[in-house]
Amino acid sequence: MARKTHDVLSVDWVRLELLRTAYSTRGGLFSRMDPRMVLAWYLVMAIAPWFTHSTGVLLVLFVLGAASVVLARVGPLVLGLFLIGLLGNVVGLFAASFLFGGDLGTLVALGELNLKLGAVSMASMAAFVSLDPEKLSDALLWFRAPELLAFGVSYGYRMLPILVDEYVTVFEGQRLRHAPVEKPGFLGLRVVWQWCVLAVTAFYPIMLNTAKNVRTTVEALETRGFTYGAKNEAGRTLRLAYLRVSALDVTVVVVTVLLVAAAFLVGPGVPVIG
Amino acid sequence: MSTQTPAPADERRGTLRGAVDGIRSVELTTSQKLMVFVLSMSLFGLSNIILEIIPDPSIGPVDISVSYMVFVPLTIAALFSPFWAALGAPLGEIVFTDLLMGDFSGLAEIEGYLQMFLAVFIAGSLIRNPRSKGQIAVGSIVLVLVDKILSAIVDLSKVWIGVEDAEFVEGLPQSMLALETLGLGVDVVMSGVLLGAIPAVWLIPALHGKIEPLMGMRPRVAGEPIPGQAQASGVFVGFAVLLSIVSFGFAFLEAFDISAGAFEPDFLDMFGDWFILVSIVAIVVVLGLAILLFRLSRTSKSTADRS
Repeated sequence: MARKTHDVLSVDWVRLELLRTAYSTRGGLFSRMDPRMVLAWYLVMAIAPWFTHSTGVLLVLFVLGAASVVLARVGPLVLGLFLIGLLGNVVGLFAASFLFGGDLGTLVALGELNLKLGAVSMASMAAFVSLDPEKLSDALLWFRAPELLAFGVSYGYRMLPILVDEYVTVFEGQRLRHAPVEKPGFLGLRVVWQWCVLAVTAFYPIMLNTAKNVRTTVEALETRGFTYGAKNEAGRTLRLAYLRVSALDVTVVVVTVLLVAAAFLVGPGVPVIG
Repeated sequence: MSTQTPAPADERRGTLRGAVDGIRSVELTTSQKLMVFVLSMSLFGLSNIILEIIPDPSIGPVDISVSYMVFVPLTIAALFSPFWAALGAPLGEIVFTDLLMGDFSGLAEIEGYLQMFLAVFIAGSLIRNPRSKGQIAVGSIVLVLVDKILSAIVDLSKVWIGVEDAEFVEGLPQSMLALETLGLGVDVVMSGVLLGAIPAVWLIPALHGKIEPLMGMRPRVAGEPIPGQAQASGVFVGFAVLLSIVSFGFAFLEAFDISAGAFEPDFLDMFGDWFILVSIVAIVVVLGLAILLFRLSRTSKSTADRS
């Protein structure tokens, strides 16, 4: 079913999009891989751009990043926010230096930095969009990350859609119980102001609700011996026993390493301006 | 906590040592620490997601957006424990917005984490009485100032030794300096006052005494020592300074990387990759030192309690 245009920018759409992102329901190449290998792949893609200063190499790496974003089937919300951020950064800094007497050289210098940052960001989008919370936190545990970090990741991804949902409910409820502003004021500023006040006051019930939820969660966890179990070596082995590296994982990582190496060889020959 | 014996009314509510009344302790239990951590993480993450969805208005190159809702971590730091709130809040930002939105930037995240941790920890410890409006307002502005000044220094030095070499790109250093100063002012007004002090002054007293029972804790009493509070001692100042140096170190590692080829191609040849290695070792040593000092500042406090 085709999505209607007026649907695209509603809060509900954002929430659904977050759910899809958090649980990586879109499928894609990396979601079928072993989470540890995805993290290894991410490290290769994220570190490689920092070792070069040639715009040609960076351009190739940027294209590689874009290809992995396509392979990972990153959703429109995340992609849109990324593009807005990247373009906004370039335009903003360029405008600023233009104001103080810079010229097109500035744009080229900033272009290199933004290519670099863009390539790294796209790799992280592709990797983390494809990992569901459980897998990601297990991979982190395997790499001996602090237990609190691993727990935070899996808890955060799980609770985020629920929290956003609850917030939207409270916000809409408050808005329904308020009279609309009598006069919109200059540029509708009063409407914006009322909206802001509601957005902040909605945190009062949200904080109380979340405190209750958190207590339930933590007490349930502690009853099962969470703090103790996370530190216990036997428990850790049991939890991570299911992780398997398959042929697909090895292929993807090897191909990526080869492609990155090729980028470093071919890159300097790529014609670029500046 | 209603099942336990109430404190005698005539007991001095000054600095209480160790236990509140022989049964209840001011120290948090393991699960309470986890609760504060998780609460701070989820709420700060939620507020960041909301800000992410709202479009950022900007006047020219200066965007007048709100970078984060300061009152959220400040409330938890002031009502429960600054240390665990400070550990959780920046993680919430990383997990909820940066990982999920593909904004994850490796080393820069560590830099941001350390700065935010320091900011929340210091600001939360400043609030000794959760009902005092003045302390809350000061706390929220200090939070923004600590975080933003540290990151402004990092940004400036990154550009200064980084991307451009003076004659290559004209007007960039001056414009950056102007932008950073302007940005700091805007941040203090927008994040520190509009979405910091004003909501916090209302929210913290409103939640005080209401939210703690939901988490199975006793509300704080003014003047009582906060569990996990920053001590105003020389050792703690040393810890703070070292931690900011570490965060600069991570930023400089990046800046060095950006700059090496741009303005001095034979810099890497001269020192080889050793240079990077040495700076990493330096960062690790300083971080270790910072943690050591932190431990020291805690133990000296607890021994002072016992004596």
